[in-house]
Amino acid sequence: MTANPLAQTAVGGTLLSNGLLVAIVALVHIQIATYITGSCTIAWVSEAISIARGGDERHDRLATSIVRSWAYIFAFGSAIGIFFVMLVLLGFWGKFFVALQQITFGAFFFESIAFLVEVALIYTLYANWERLRRYRRARLGMLILLNIDLFWQMFFIDVVASFMLTPNGGDANLLDQFLNPSNIPLTIHRTIGNVAWAGAVLAFAGAFQYLRASRGLEPAAAPARAGAPVRSVGAMDADEAPAEPPEVRETRHWDWVGQWGAIWVVGLTTLQPWVGYSYAKEVQLHAYPAWYDMMFGDLSNVFLFQLTLLGTIFTVGTAYFWRRMKASGATHHRRQGVIAILLAVVTLFAAQPAWFAWTYADVVAQGLARPWWQGGLLNPIGNFIPYKVGALFALVFLGLASVTSYMRAYSRDEMKPGRVGRRNQGLLLALGVVVSTMMIVMGVIREHSRQPFLISGELTIQHQQTLNNQPSQLGGTAR
Amino acid sequence: MRTVRDARIALRRARARETLRSGYRWFDERTGAADLLHKGLYEAVPRRGGWAYTLGSATLALILLQLFSGIFLLLDYVPSVEEAWPSLNYLETQDPFGSWVRGLHLWGAYTLILVIGLHALRTFLSASYKRPRELNWVTGSLLFFLVLGLAITGAMLPWDQASYWTTVVVTNILHYFPFIGDGLRQLWRGGSFVGPITLTRTFAIHIWVLPFLLFTFIGAHLYLLRRHGEFGAWVNYDTTSDDPDKEIAHRIRTVEPPYPTKRIERRYAAPNQTDQFFPNQIFKDMLVSVALIALIFVMGRAAGAPLDPAADPATLTYVPTPEWFYLPLDQFLVLTPGNPLIAVGIFAIVGIGALAFMLLPFLDRSTERRPIRRPEILIPALFVVFAVVFLAMLGVNRLYSL
Repeated sequence: MTANPLAQTAVGGTLLSNGLLVAIVALVHIQIATYITGSCTIAWVSEAISIARGGDERHDRLATSIVRSWAYIFAFGSAIGIFFVMLVLLGFWGKFFVALQQITFGAFFFESIAFLVEVALIYTLYANWERLRRYRRARLGMLILLNIDLFWQMFFIDVVASFMLTPNGGDANLLDQFLNPSNIPLTIHRTIGNVAWAGAVLAFAGAFQYLRASRGLEPAAAPARAGAPVRSVGAMDADEAPAEPPEVRETRHWDWVGQWGAIWVVGLTTLQPWVGYSYAKEVQLHAYPAWYDMMFGDLSNVFLFQLTLLGTIFTVGTAYFWRRMKASGATHHRRQGVIAILLAVVTLFAAQPAWFAWTYADVVAQGLARPWWQGGLLNPIGNFIPYKVGALFALVFLGLASVTSYMRAYSRDEMKPGRVGRRNQGLLLALGVVVSTMMIVMGVIREHSRQPFLISGELTIQHQQTLNNQPSQLGGTAR
Repeated sequence: MRTVRDARIALRRARARETLRSGYRWFDERTGAADLLHKGLYEAVPRRGGWAYTLGSATLALILLQLFSGIFLLLDYVPSVEEAWPSLNYLETQDPFGSWVRGLHLWGAYTLILVIGLHALRTFLSASYKRPRELNWVTGSLLFFLVLGLAITGAMLPWDQASYWTTVVVTNILHYFPFIGDGLRQLWRGGSFVGPITLTRTFAIHIWVLPFLLFTFIGAHLYLLRRHGEFGAWVNYDTTSDDPDKEIAHRIRTVEPPYPTKRIERRYAAPNQTDQFFPNQIFKDMLVSVALIALIFVMGRAAGAPLDPAADPATLTYVPTPEWFYLPLDQFLVLTPGNPLIAVGIFAIVGIGALAFMLLPFLDRSTERRPIRRPEILIPALFVVFAVVFLAMLGVNRLYSL
């Protein structure tokens, strides 16, 4: 096996233009945009549940909070996006961006229409949310409409992003762009990831607010209400609620929000290894140098870090389920504990490097391409196939078992809401941070794997920079 | 005069009626047809959700359509490597209705797979497979697998490029089975390579072995359905009074046959309200079945069935593509590189999945019937459904990029 020669090409530019600026601006924009897209799904699900249960207050309150949060951050996220396009892409990468926009004009055009619809719907919803309280089905309809619009908005920008990685010959035909090999897996990966990320934000916010609300409460002042199932909290009986201090009521609500968010995170993340593997497979088949860079080249250890983060999401989420079930005295909480330990072990297994060097090329260069027990640098157990595939399978099935077991306890009314201890919330805070980090790492891997290309196999960074620095050659022949 | 003639006509009619009646009595005395018809038609079914229960009878109607269209195809089809393709080509180009009949058989198969899948989904969501209907589910799942088997063996018969390479790929999958894989492949192919014996054997499997098993299990499935009655869904068993025990006891006392049976769980022994199978439910059944068959006739005429050029084993350019219902499995093969993983992917994971599907009633032992109260079954099932749909989407995308 030889190293990828393209990965060795020196890349020009400055740290500001090539790394930091793109990373900060793009990642902040992505985290806000994906939160809005993902939380829209959670908002309409909560609104639907609230309507179906005859006005469940906690779901209603959650949907309201989410819609409000959009109004606070949407404009900021959009401004960053526009700043990104105007300054970073046009300023530093003008040739590339003009070329990209010419090729994928259709996708950008539909993207802009979806953006306009998004603006109209978000602010209409925000401005009329309370006024529409009497017409909740209309509110639900608008949320679903917004979700559909957001899906297409994501899809069109995914067309551009996936086309840059797998242009499949660079054909400019619109259908070929839309169905380029990695677009479907990327779209599904992001659709699921967006909702999981929104769940992580909810878990983080729930934990934060829980800690704030319970700060002044003594542990004994508001114990979990024995025998009162989680389900009944939604009704929040009008005659019962005023009897308890508002802090207790608040802790119960935010405890529920934290749980609800964690369920979305772990439940949906069980699908991600499966989808991610398929995505990587398409990259392997259609953009081999990029795949090689991720698996064997400079990014291989970053990819390993991503696998570690994936396992950490499952482990932390399951550990929270375990402690939360234990706090409610639910049956099978010990089983959750065992699953959490198994997940930690599997994560350690998945995180093993296949070689004890930065890249495989380094191993070959040192003449140590033999197993470590023969004095080499190779660790066959750390290979992706079949061992890491096995670890991924184990992560998925253990994650599935964990969320199923938790939902089982939930559906049997074994989970009691209320004071569950402040330390549990630490796990939810950690979950939010890990998911956010995972998104950043994933973005870094995907965007860097194409180097030295901006459009894989079509347009290099060198080509772009040379032309940008020598205006007289703009529009001339490429060097 | 007119009165006498009328009297004669009336007398003749009376004699004719009496002859018919006596003939009917003679036949009924020997066969018990009236009782059988009565048992078949007059029984109670749950009132709520009647349209959802039409999928089972629609499945049966579509299987019968496949049987009849298959018989018409058999009149011309010759199961040999030299004659298979020319005989179908003759049907397509020379016979005025040949193309339509082929189209009927193909679109009937597509619709059948879809409808039997929906029927299984409805049964799953309503937890109709629970005690005492476990064996209804087991026979139903076997029928599902047999239909898939018939579909894939049917796709191998035209001996055009698509069917030849499908045969090569499908028979080759067996070879990945540990230890006995080579033997199984050789057994089906009748040698090391796909050839005349492969076609003969596949033909025998398609028109004799699988249909025999199919109709045997249909009989068992219908018998069990009649024995335990249509379950319907949990909505038919909700209690509304303050004293649910009393309400359930009243329901059991007053319900019509076949409810309740002795071995059933008490709460789900008898539905709240029932409807007559004949004529109410059977009307819905027939409406859905006729609509589906009409759709198949239209699709058969409009889209027909493709026939590639005759099989050419020497070709190097043909890229075989699977039928849509095997697309997820085919994509799964793409994702499992290397022999050991193919064996794990195809036989271990898919095999365990199929076994779990068949034995579902014995895995889900809780008494809960509402989907929301059965997350331990619903969540893994959603995961599997997602995996199948996702693989199908990837498969479509891959075929587009070929």
